[in-house]
Amino acid sequence: MHFAPLPYLDPGSGSFLIQLAIAALLGLGIAFRASWTKIKGWFGIKSKPTEDDDESENE
Amino acid sequence: MTNQKTNSGQNPASFRDPSGFLFSRGGVLYRQVNRAYERDYSRLMESGLYEKLVKNSFLIPHVEVDQPAEQPDSFYKIIQPERAPFISYPYEWSFGQLKSAALATLTIQKRALKADMSLKDASAYNMQFVRGKATLIDTLSFEIYQEGQPWVAYKQFCQHFLAPLALMALRDVRLSQLLRVYIDGVPLDLASELLPTKTRLNFGLLTHIHIHAGAQKKYAGEEVKSRGGSMSRQAMTGLIESLESTIQKLDWTPRGTEWGNYYDITNYSDAAFEHKKELVGEWTKRLKPALTWDLGANNGAFSRVAGENSAFVVSFDIDPAAVEQNYRQMKHDKTENLLPLLLDLTNPSPAIGWANRERDSFGGRGPADLALALAVIHHLAISNNVPLPQLAEFFAETAKWLVIEFVPKQDSQVQKLLASRKDIFPNYTREGFESAFNEKFAIREAVEIRESERVLYLMERK
Repeated sequence: MHFAPLPYLDPGSGSFLIQLAIAALLGLGIAFRASWTKIKGWFGIKSKPTEDDDESENE
Repeated sequence: MTNQKTNSGQNPASFRDPSGFLFSRGGVLYRQVNRAYERDYSRLMESGLYEKLVKNSFLIPHVEVDQPAEQPDSFYKIIQPERAPFISYPYEWSFGQLKSAALATLTIQKRALKADMSLKDASAYNMQFVRGKATLIDTLSFEIYQEGQPWVAYKQFCQHFLAPLALMALRDVRLSQLLRVYIDGVPLDLASELLPTKTRLNFGLLTHIHIHAGAQKKYAGEEVKSRGGSMSRQAMTGLIESLESTIQKLDWTPRGTEWGNYYDITNYSDAAFEHKKELVGEWTKRLKPALTWDLGANNGAFSRVAGENSAFVVSFDIDPAAVEQNYRQMKHDKTENLLPLLLDLTNPSPAIGWANRERDSFGGRGPADLALALAVIHHLAISNNVPLPQLAEFFAETAKWLVIEFVPKQDSQVQKLLASRKDIFPNYTREGFESAFNEKFAIREAVEIRESERVLYLMERK
């Protein structure tokens, strides 16, 4: 894979590779959560929003 | 963005990022945006991201101004950011302050992603407390997000925020001082070594610190593009949320503090305490200082009194627990003109970084209009053996006006300091104090504090 444009700070090779691995795993969790919400939706169960609503004030 | 004094031109802390830089002209702080950053800047402004972040106090507001270029070759635009009232550094923050700054950074990254942008750096030095809230002051930190790209600031975020927070919460709160040595954050191999073994059972710390440190060692110097893999937006969100929940779970609550119950164990009566409050209130009302420094502020009781008539008060104390308490209190009260900071007056923050000019020293960020030095002189003069004339000189460099409390030898607090050592301070008397401070200050008021043997002075620098 080509990482372009190159960042102005060295992100570190190890830091790049490890986050790909961690993020792949965590991304699965997010995907699972999304499907689960959908499945629950079929049965009329509304889950409370956990995500940042994009409007809340800094604390 | 620092208040560091240079003749003119480029700010000495603003040289790394080719997107632009800070400079001052005629005492006003500006930021030149370079042509190389044009597309990213336009996206920030036009996507609504800027407006949303500013509205919710995550990003410093700025205006575009019609000023000639500072460096015409690379020039695209000049913007004038709002100036932070006082620049502080992560090694001066309490646990709660660093945690607020970390969580604000992650929220900004999440909101940026929704606007197809991403933070290209996650430096703790880009966060400053403005109106009581951890606010990003580097407008040029955003870049257009390209799906598939990992987070370039991941390493920096772990070093600047996650590692010190974990060390403070799970090893010792004083380890925040590592940030004073390691300007680009705590090296992860060091954090991994210092953290208790049990932290390997915490998924967030295991991955973002321990395994991360191992990977850095293993792949040091290898070119990444030779290896496959890309990172979906979903994976990026997973990474940010994982950092967020790991940090949210870290906590440090002051216990057995050095000064935590100071006001209960002194020989202060309520009357003396109230009298002091009255005097501080009356004198600040008279002076209306723009910037007040409360030196040895404990949990900030007198800073709050001064804050009623001072535009901004920085509340310094040596005890991390007192600073934490002070910060929690101001967050609870939504106080906007107060900044609690950790400072050892006998060894104040030095100037650090490239050419010793990136991060300003304690004194370099002054002088203040007014300094409060309440119940602090005996610690400096007796515990730290600083002669009175040198104390007078230090305070004269620190502020134009000084409210200082003289604590005489017969006071039980001083007796305690002298209990286990030789009294080598024949000049430590009210007369000796006044004559030393008379060299640098004109004494405007001297009031004996009710029900105590202490004296409160109001002095003006000569």
